[in-house]
Amino acid sequence: MIPVAITGYGAVTACGIGADALWSAARDGRTAVHDVVFPRIHQQQVKQAARISDADLQILLPDAKPRFQDRTAIIGVAAAREAITQAGLGPDDFGERCAVVVGSGLGGAETIETGYIRYLETPAQRGDVMAIPKLMANSTASWIAMDVGATGPTLCISTACSSATQSIGLAADLIRAGVVDRCLAGGSEALLVDVAFAAWELLHVMTTTRCRPFSRERNGMVLGEGAGVVVLESMEAAKARGAEVLAELVGYATNADASDLLRPDLAGVTTCIRKAVESSGLEPSRIGYVNAHGTGTVANDLTETNALRAVFGDAFDGLAISATKPIHGHALGAGGALEFIITVEALRAQIAPPTINWLGLDPKLGFEPVPNVARPFTADAAMSNSFAFGGINAALVVALPGRG
Amino acid sequence: MAEVAARDEDLHRQLLAIVVEEGMIKDRELEAATRLDELGIESADFVMILMAIEEKFGVYIPVDENLTEAKTVGELLDVVTRHIDEHRRQVAS
Repeated sequence: MIPVAITGYGAVTACGIGADALWSAARDGRTAVHDVVFPRIHQQQVKQAARISDADLQILLPDAKPRFQDRTAIIGVAAAREAITQAGLGPDDFGERCAVVVGSGLGGAETIETGYIRYLETPAQRGDVMAIPKLMANSTASWIAMDVGATGPTLCISTACSSATQSIGLAADLIRAGVVDRCLAGGSEALLVDVAFAAWELLHVMTTTRCRPFSRERNGMVLGEGAGVVVLESMEAAKARGAEVLAELVGYATNADASDLLRPDLAGVTTCIRKAVESSGLEPSRIGYVNAHGTGTVANDLTETNALRAVFGDAFDGLAISATKPIHGHALGAGGALEFIITVEALRAQIAPPTINWLGLDPKLGFEPVPNVARPFTADAAMSNSFAFGGINAALVVALPGRG
Repeated sequence: MAEVAARDEDLHRQLLAIVVEEGMIKDRELEAATRLDELGIESADFVMILMAIEEKFGVYIPVDENLTEAKTVGELLDVVTRHIDEHRRQVAS
């Protein structure tokens, strides 16, 4: 596919404010997963998550509009501003030639929860009159568009854990199709509130011990939250304004299993990864690092391993594969953006971040991810995968500038 | 020993009832050797079964390797029974 320039990115996560905080935590294997208490949960069984600290949120509030913005929009706008600053975009670079594609799995979970609780406890009191515009899933995308004056297409993709990866992929499609010159793309998710967390507990996919992707004795994922936004531009638009191209998006594919709502499907996942690699036009051996979806559930990691092995064949053993979710948590609708940013940073630094909490080989997987400590790799390209409930798969391939 | 066997049998019967009810399995006799895939238990039904067990016994059962590997009703009940026993030991201590 025609390469698309990546010229900036920003993130707000449990690792801190900024893409640097996210990348350095991932590279150094420093987890942001901590004990969390949800006082309204009756017999809370899972007691950890990667939550943005109150101190960091306080830093963002003076530049936010909390009366009109849910936590998702506050962190999403902050991530977008960082990305725009890094890209060096000015007021004239937006308008109708700029799109915004920012996804979210659940939208304004905190607004939904506090609104329900307030209504049920004190129905006679006036509720939050801004509840609806705060909780709608496209709120973050719309606030970002308003913040910069982007009047091109503004879209919100809500496909659970694939939301942000599909957003970045669709952004590249819009640019390649000539619809726009540039796009702010990514995702925002903040659902670490009592009732939403209790609902996650019901699914029994979270670990009560440690999230340890691709490891023996793994038994589930750990939730996180955050926002990640990437600036994508056509190569011409980036060059015209003399922007530094950090990396190029060279491959993207998305598909659906159309089989089971929760259980990943090997055929679907394999096809998605294969098509992403094919769309990049790169020999698989040119891809040196994979930031796996790697949730730490038994089913995901087994399916993803088998799919990667099928697509990469002889090149599989040379791949550095890691899952960084035990560090920043599974940020669901934002996860793909956070992991894409880590993937680009990893490629630029030629350092594969570690899969922490890894105890040892799972014979059924038969491979070691980059275990516990980062290691260098040498390659022109890297890949980031997302596989969502609902059987929706998405994968992105990035290359160093000029190497795609 | 007879007491333990009786308790296990009782637990087994309760668990089996949960599988039948939550898995929405009608009109058939479940045996330990019955394969789960023959019962058409979808992933969502599986979660319902775990949830019902959690409510009844207060134990959280993450989907680990042992559970994923369970192919028959008997194997499923073995895994669940181990979790319940472990949970009871923890509560007792």
